[in-house]
Amino acid sequence: MPTPGGELIRAMAAGNRDAFAQLYDRYAALVLAFVLRIVRERADAVEVLQDVFWEAWRGAAAYDPSRGTPEAWIITRARTRAIDRVRPVRRRGETFVAATAGPPPPPGGDAVMRAEDRQLVAGALAQLSEAQREVIELAYYSGLTQTEIAERLEQPLGTVKTRIRLALARLREVVTSP
Amino acid sequence: MSHEPFETLAAVYAVGALDGDDLAQFEAHLPTCAVCQATLREAQDALARAMLSTPPQAPPAGAREALVRRVGRARGADRRSWLRWAAATAVVAAAAAGFTGTWVAVRYEARLGQMARETAAVKERLARNEASLREQAALYRGAVELLRDPATRVVDLRARGPAPAAGGRMIWNDVGGGHLFVAGLPPTPAGKTYALWTIVAGRPRPAGLFGVDAAGRGILRIAPASAGAAARVFVVTVEPEGGVPAPTGPIVLASK
Repeated sequence: MPTPGGELIRAMAAGNRDAFAQLYDRYAALVLAFVLRIVRERADAVEVLQDVFWEAWRGAAAYDPSRGTPEAWIITRARTRAIDRVRPVRRRGETFVAATAGPPPPPGGDAVMRAEDRQLVAGALAQLSEAQREVIELAYYSGLTQTEIAERLEQPLGTVKTRIRLALARLREVVTSP
Repeated sequence: MSHEPFETLAAVYAVGALDGDDLAQFEAHLPTCAVCQATLREAQDALARAMLSTPPQAPPAGAREALVRRVGRARGADRRSWLRWAAATAVVAAAAAGFTGTWVAVRYEARLGQMARETAAVKERLARNEASLREQAALYRGAVELLRDPATRVVDLRARGPAPAAGGRMIWNDVGGGHLFVAGLPPTPAGKTYALWTIVAGRPRPAGLFGVDAAGRGILRIAPASAGAAARVFVVTVEPEGGVPAPTGPIVLASK
């Protein structure tokens, strides 16, 4: 049975380089896939990946399992670094949104396109409704705030907030169901 | 206030999209609320698991090697590892004392990153402003230096043409060159610029091009060599941008 991620991080905090290599081998390819959804250039994404793991090494001592899983610890950091990379100047809406998932498919658009689109949707997110997935992607991948999302979707702020909450609830169901 | 709204805020916070008053309100509430801490933890965990459920993308082997090397260098000998372990234990113990969550920390890091970017932009703007102010100060200092010299003359330039309110003053020194200050000139048409000429021995010599700001003011520094010594007469005309060897356009200002 593999060593739990939390133990690896504890060992890293104590200076164990093998633990670091194990953590890298376990998560690097998954983290890279995630970073690539935010940072489209592969070379940039690899740099972000390295930053994330370097910070994981440096920050291992501050990891507190009571505050979250190792996966959440890594992904939260990876997201922050990735968003930083694609948003060098705070003009998030302009510089970045164009590079994300692209325009939403037309409602009831043709079946072929929708099927392709679905293939591009990452794992568990594919289980969300279009509307729920959209808010999660705009927030989590594009780094838009709730206000920016509301403006972009031309929806009331309250609707956006509720949609995010429902999307997360659904996502929890999806990832915890066996 | 009921707790229900906070549950929505926690979800929006988890995806990093909270802003404005909501953000301030939630961050004030979070350290005091075990329910929200748990909600946030669960949301972050679900998000992480969802994000890690995508097909993996193998990073280049070089990335791993570089990291492992870097980690090796950073550690040096393992003799200090017990110190690190002790520090880790201490940090965990300290962290248990109060909730200053990783999420809050990461959130602040993100904000710090953003502030760093904004600061860089402001710095750049300031540097540009500073450069232009320095230039201006140098210009004025040059004019003041000239004025200290008893050999410097001040020559008035009067309007000759479509802008009767326009005027100018030339601070001129045969050795040190000159400064032209103008006011009340209309902006030049597209493709045109103002040109200063010195008349020496009856022949116009180009002494520089200048534009005016929105208020019709302009300054031109004239290097001594370009002007020709013993200039007594100064004329401003409108010329094509880029300048011409001899005046072609209408005269707008001239010394008497």
